[in-house]
Amino acid sequence: MIVRDVMSANVVAIDPDMPIRDVTALMELRRVRHFPILEDDEEVRGRLVGIVSDRDLRAVGSSHPSGRPDVRVHDPVRHIMATPVATAHPDDPIEDAAKRLRERRVGALPVLDGDVLIGIVSAPDLLDALARSAGASEPSSRIEVEVPNRPGSLAALLRSLAGRGLNVSSVTTTRSEPDVVCFAIRVDSIDGPGVATGLVREGWSVLWPDVDTPTRTPQGDRSAVGEAS
Amino acid sequence: MTPRVAMLVDDPTLARSPFGEHHPFRAERGAVTRTLLEATGALRPDDVAPVERVDERLLGAVHDAAYLDAVVRAGRGEHVDDPRGFGLDTSDCPIVDGMHRVALRVADASVSAAELVASGQALRALHLTGGMHHAHRARASGFCLVNDLALAIEHLTRRKGWRVAYIDLDAHHGDGVQAAFWERGDVLTLSMHQSGRTLFPGTGAEDEIGAGAGLGTSVNLPLDPFTDDAGAVAAFDALVPDVVASFGPDVIVLQAGVDAHWRDPLARLALTGDGLDALFARVIDLSERWCGGRMVVTGGGGYDAWRSVPRAWARLWGHLARRELPDDLPEAWRASWAERLGATLPATLGERDRPALDPSVTGRAASHALAVARRVSQRFALLARDAD
Repeated sequence: MIVRDVMSANVVAIDPDMPIRDVTALMELRRVRHFPILEDDEEVRGRLVGIVSDRDLRAVGSSHPSGRPDVRVHDPVRHIMATPVATAHPDDPIEDAAKRLRERRVGALPVLDGDVLIGIVSAPDLLDALARSAGASEPSSRIEVEVPNRPGSLAALLRSLAGRGLNVSSVTTTRSEPDVVCFAIRVDSIDGPGVATGLVREGWSVLWPDVDTPTRTPQGDRSAVGEAS
Repeated sequence: MTPRVAMLVDDPTLARSPFGEHHPFRAERGAVTRTLLEATGALRPDDVAPVERVDERLLGAVHDAAYLDAVVRAGRGEHVDDPRGFGLDTSDCPIVDGMHRVALRVADASVSAAELVASGQALRALHLTGGMHHAHRARASGFCLVNDLALAIEHLTRRKGWRVAYIDLDAHHGDGVQAAFWERGDVLTLSMHQSGRTLFPGTGAEDEIGAGAGLGTSVNLPLDPFTDDAGAVAAFDALVPDVVASFGPDVIVLQAGVDAHWRDPLARLALTGDGLDALFARVIDLSERWCGGRMVVTGGGGYDAWRSVPRAWARLWGHLARRELPDDLPEAWRASWAERLGATLPATLGERDRPALDPSVTGRAASHALAVARRVSQRFALLARDAD
């Protein structure tokens, strides 16, 4: 996934001369936590010159160690905006954007296509994307398989699933080590344990669902047609 | 006319699986249970009601015409463009001759059960072959072609204007029913299931709460694998009674899947027959408390088909009809099925064995279940307050 897919495109930008008091009111009205700040210069109309967050606004007039007791609410926002601004490109992979957020310790990245502001991507946007990618987009069962970390392992596993007429709607890596990789694969069957049993018979190392289930001990009977207890 | 306490909707056509006899979904489970109830005297001939045909208009309210057409054509062996686009010709829902007739018959029977209750002929009606909660508006899924539950619920709302509380105790999330009533404020869907992270269909997270007029009326209680009787019952008690009381239903529709049983090969919950029984009894209590006892009940999942399933469903009927069942099950009943099924049926109603699970595993699952139930309950209460 790339930033373009998860960013918010209706971004509100403000002018550096806007009084802080008005910025606070606007932030409350728009229910956002960041405003990119644009200013015209000779080359670019609306160049990104800064960003202000709800935290920056709360620091105004505060004697807290991270506060800005020197600034007043009628001062222009220019006095408290952060600059230079950490930004993202719409084609950046979302994992790069997530790393930049953490490295720069910010909550959102304005998205620039060239010099033009086209959106903003926030930490919640990235978390939502992560939650979506780990979840089920289609009715499916999750099968977790550990395979040797070498060429063709995943391809062989997917061929085996395809051979059973199963459609794969998602593959995620849950663990990667020098010798083995674990994949969580979502397949379009309600019979996850049946799929797992088939894979185990072929020699695959299935981590979930467990085939020798503790719920089926002590008898260890796995057939639906079973003995009376 | 004094209504009967409970009736069973059944006929021999319902004992066929739409997908043939090698498929995990065993439709004979209903007949095995029925014959058990007959053999013990808990079911009498006049307790059984026939199956009536569903109005086509009702079908059209729940499923897209193009999808129904595809199911019928596929079942007749005719060509269907892109069957997989409708969830057909998959490993769960293979195309089998005549499958449309079986699926529509199951739907007929569940709507017939709803009509028995709507018309006041019976306080409660049970249809054991029903419970196809994974069927979507235009998609077959998870052994389900036609959503008999959504049809029964729709029938109750149209025929009587009733508010319907749907409670789904199957181990799998009731995704098709939830989707059908996602934006409906007059139908509450509450599903308790093994979490979508570890079990099909993958949905049913606690943050799935409905939308629009139905905001707050989809309720989900996902459970971790190996949640046991104590964990499931405590979680149920922390959530379901308050939700049902706040919603104020006129009738409860119960999907009584029993694949939460520890012996079930498809799911990984760890309930026993006693735990399932405790949950069923609680739902019946809620119906008596809030909606005059009115209930429409279907079967559902249950793939330990000849051992856990008939026991659990026989006990369910005992509660619904207020009939006693003996613990020793009739030998003649066991003998009559042994050869046909190639399986030995249980000799007692009560279960003598228990899963051997590490208490730290079940304890952790139970503690998580209770925490989730409390969170969901809080959110439901906040949304219900905002809606007032």
